[in-house]
Amino acid sequence: MAQRDFLIVGGGVVGMAVAYGLARAGLSVTVLDESDDALRASRGNAGLVWVQGKGVGMPRYAELSFEAAKAWADFARELTERTGIDLEYEQRGGVDLCLDAEEARSRQQEYTTLQNASSFLTQEFRWEYLDRKALTPYLPGLGEAVQGGTWSPHDGQCNPLYLLRALYAASHSLGVDTHPASAVERLEATASGFRATTPRGHFEADRVILAAGLGARTLAPMLGLSDAVHPVRGQVLVTERRPPGARLPTPQIRQTASGGYLIGDTHEDAGLDKGVTLAMMQTLADKAVRIYPDLGEARLVRSWGALRVMTPDGNPLYEASTTHPGAYNINCHSGITLAAFHAGGLSDAIRDDRLAQSFPQFSGARFHVPAT
Amino acid sequence: MMPDVCATDIAIIGAGPAGMAAAVRLAKVGHRPVVFDMNATPGGQIYRQLSELQVSEAVMGKDYARGRELIDAFQRADIDYRPGTRVWWADNDALGTSLGVLEKGQTQHWQARQLILAGGAMERGWPFRGWQLPGVMNAGAAQILLKQGALVPATPPVLAGTGPLLYLLAWQYLRAGIPPSLILDTAPATRYGEVVRQSRRAWFARSYLFKGARMIGALKRAGVPIHQGITTLEAQGDKAVESIGYRHRGQWKTHSTELLLTHFGVTPEPQLARSLGLTHHWHASQQSFVPQRDDTLAVGANLWIAGDGGGIGGAINAEREGQLAALAVLDKIGQGDPEWQRERHALLKARRRDLEARSLLESMFRLPEAWLDDQPEETLVCRCESVSRGELDRAIAQGGAGPNQLKAFTRCGMGPCQGRQCGESVTRLLARRLGWTPEAVGYYHIRPPVHSITLGELATKE
Amino acid sequence: MPVRHVQIWLDGTPHQVPETLTVAAAVLQLRGWQGYRRHVDGSPRAPLCMMGVCQECLITIDGRANRQGCLEPVAEGMRIERQGGSVHDA
Repeated sequence: MAQRDFLIVGGGVVGMAVAYGLARAGLSVTVLDESDDALRASRGNAGLVWVQGKGVGMPRYAELSFEAAKAWADFARELTERTGIDLEYEQRGGVDLCLDAEEARSRQQEYTTLQNASSFLTQEFRWEYLDRKALTPYLPGLGEAVQGGTWSPHDGQCNPLYLLRALYAASHSLGVDTHPASAVERLEATASGFRATTPRGHFEADRVILAAGLGARTLAPMLGLSDAVHPVRGQVLVTERRPPGARLPTPQIRQTASGGYLIGDTHEDAGLDKGVTLAMMQTLADKAVRIYPDLGEARLVRSWGALRVMTPDGNPLYEASTTHPGAYNINCHSGITLAAFHAGGLSDAIRDDRLAQSFPQFSGARFHVPAT
Repeated sequence: MMPDVCATDIAIIGAGPAGMAAAVRLAKVGHRPVVFDMNATPGGQIYRQLSELQVSEAVMGKDYARGRELIDAFQRADIDYRPGTRVWWADNDALGTSLGVLEKGQTQHWQARQLILAGGAMERGWPFRGWQLPGVMNAGAAQILLKQGALVPATPPVLAGTGPLLYLLAWQYLRAGIPPSLILDTAPATRYGEVVRQSRRAWFARSYLFKGARMIGALKRAGVPIHQGITTLEAQGDKAVESIGYRHRGQWKTHSTELLLTHFGVTPEPQLARSLGLTHHWHASQQSFVPQRDDTLAVGANLWIAGDGGGIGGAINAEREGQLAALAVLDKIGQGDPEWQRERHALLKARRRDLEARSLLESMFRLPEAWLDDQPEETLVCRCESVSRGELDRAIAQGGAGPNQLKAFTRCGMGPCQGRQCGESVTRLLARRLGWTPEAVGYYHIRPPVHSITLGELATKE
Repeated sequence: MPVRHVQIWLDGTPHQVPETLTVAAAVLQLRGWQGYRRHVDGSPRAPLCMMGVCQECLITIDGRANRQGCLEPVAEGMRIERQGGSVHDA
């Protein structure tokens, strides 16, 4: 059997989106994944397809998020056609809530600055600050304690777990082979490409893509790539199914297609501990009941902690190795929104080996400035 | 704003035989443990309602009445007993274990330096087509109705599954004047060969075996048909059970009934131990995961599991384990007494024999590991989210190569029972499809709340 | 074995039931398993385990939906409503 074109290290939503994109372009791909109990940001996130607030300090990231959000509807349709899986995607707009006056003030200032930083965003980014009363038609039953929020028509939501499943199913139908419980221990160059060593044997391919999330901290340096990622824990509560409401999604709380409310948006440094804490669960419950008082009666059915994969500036890491040509590093904390782009423009750039030329702003070199 | 923390030296979760025995033993040397229990009266499932008896011994048999002495001792002792409480959250901390406790709609935060988990067992979720229909109940549930208010079915039920409880309930219904119309056992008739093959164990198990033989004899004399080696079971009906179907000796048969009571053995109630991140191993003979305990029943520095929650050993064994755990706690806090060595040795010896006997019963009532393959693909595995075996198979083929990935792909295990009913079915199915051991496949990640709590109850109400 | 009875209201009708029963047991005694509850997928459901595990006994108690009927003892004056019609009850 001929050597595969690509090895992808990481079977999360980032690795699978790229695997799908490359396989759709006719390339042969092998995906190596960790075991079922790995950290897995892909299974812990909120499922927002979201643009507002993205790219503060890096307008190019805001533009990519916009492109991804625009491409999402077609992307979702295509995956559903290929797999029969409904991603529960919708784009009806979204609201980022401000719980007090100070938050409302700083949010508006931030968005104004962001918008003025790029002619693209000046033209494309529509948003509006609405006070509690003006928000009520979008968020019926909104609690008295909420100050207001920023509304934007570009935002939406999906079921991130079904996205992951659809990417697996579509990739498999295109000939991608995935190997579970095959955590990569070593990566190295060979005469004709790259070799990955796992507990289940060696795998080789012409080129290798690291989509390993926090795993990049040990694997990336083996190929001259950046390890500048760290975990930021988020805790999430989910309620039992509730009657469907017309409430727009918010990063703080959203009702999923199956009816449960998903409550989150916490940020903690807890190392690699993906547990939940009583204090934070209470904080989330307080917040949920302040936002929608009718949820006081809702039973909590699940909770979890998940580790966001964060770079020092919060923006994605897209880089080609300079020491090991043919090795790439793809890492970000917004793999759901960006999935449409990862399967499209990003995969194309990797296929054509023009990642550094097309997306120079996203190289890890920005975090590794030589000390002077 | 955090609620005030209540502190205790020793807490026990569960007031069944293990929890009661541990509390009584600790009270005997002057401790006053806090005992949290979900039910309104002590006794756990096995001795439920025995403190205010509702049904005669003639119906229930001697084993039920035997719990009286322990309940009396528990009620006499000076114990901080808290019925009607639910421990919905637990976490290891520097001082021991933190507990989130729900009592009368209020969340309390407890801190226990030493903790004994005595949460007991639950009936195994064992899917067959139509098991979600009203008119299908667990045999244990039927027994609870008997204990709570002498409630018996209006028409003769069918009992199906396997295990001692199935025959006990059948015998109790016979005594109550409503014998089952049919008993279907998934274990083959050849199981009696185990008694000969494992004669040493059979000796230890002789009282169980005599009791079983007496009950089965009584049922046969009363003309109750017993079919063994059933491979497929189905509850049929539109809004409720109208009839059942089953495969016996390769033949498909049906039988009219309104009530199908099933029992497929019991397994440790896993949620609290799982949410604490305790190591579990697959117990091949019990066909279930059990938490890893050492010789003193410890599962952590200040944490013990006593009774069926640590592996199925039955009520008498649970009582012994409760005493053993109490002695281990006393040793741990430096209040052990060399005089107790004899007591401990006697308990350990009796426990060893009982578990030997138990393993014979396990092989006699062994469940068919390939069961799910013999049920039609529309059989629901996850009742809460209505996920079928066929849907799970499709998701496995697409890359759902672990219990948590499969849960993400299908919602199996995401409903309000939190995977209690489907968890081990999913492990078992994945083990067969991937060719891995159940241990290598693993289990769902379990997070709090392990009991239902509303956001309003959780919120701090500033 | 005499036992005290309490008055409960089931779907608006008063009944005397033994105080040792849980809500789920009382409902099963008074009405049987038919019409106990409608699941989120539309299918009829009724209690399976009676011991706090399966969540099939969800019922409205004193105006609060989705309480676990098998864990709550009946009490004098308690108002119980079966959830036979709702499709968003689990």
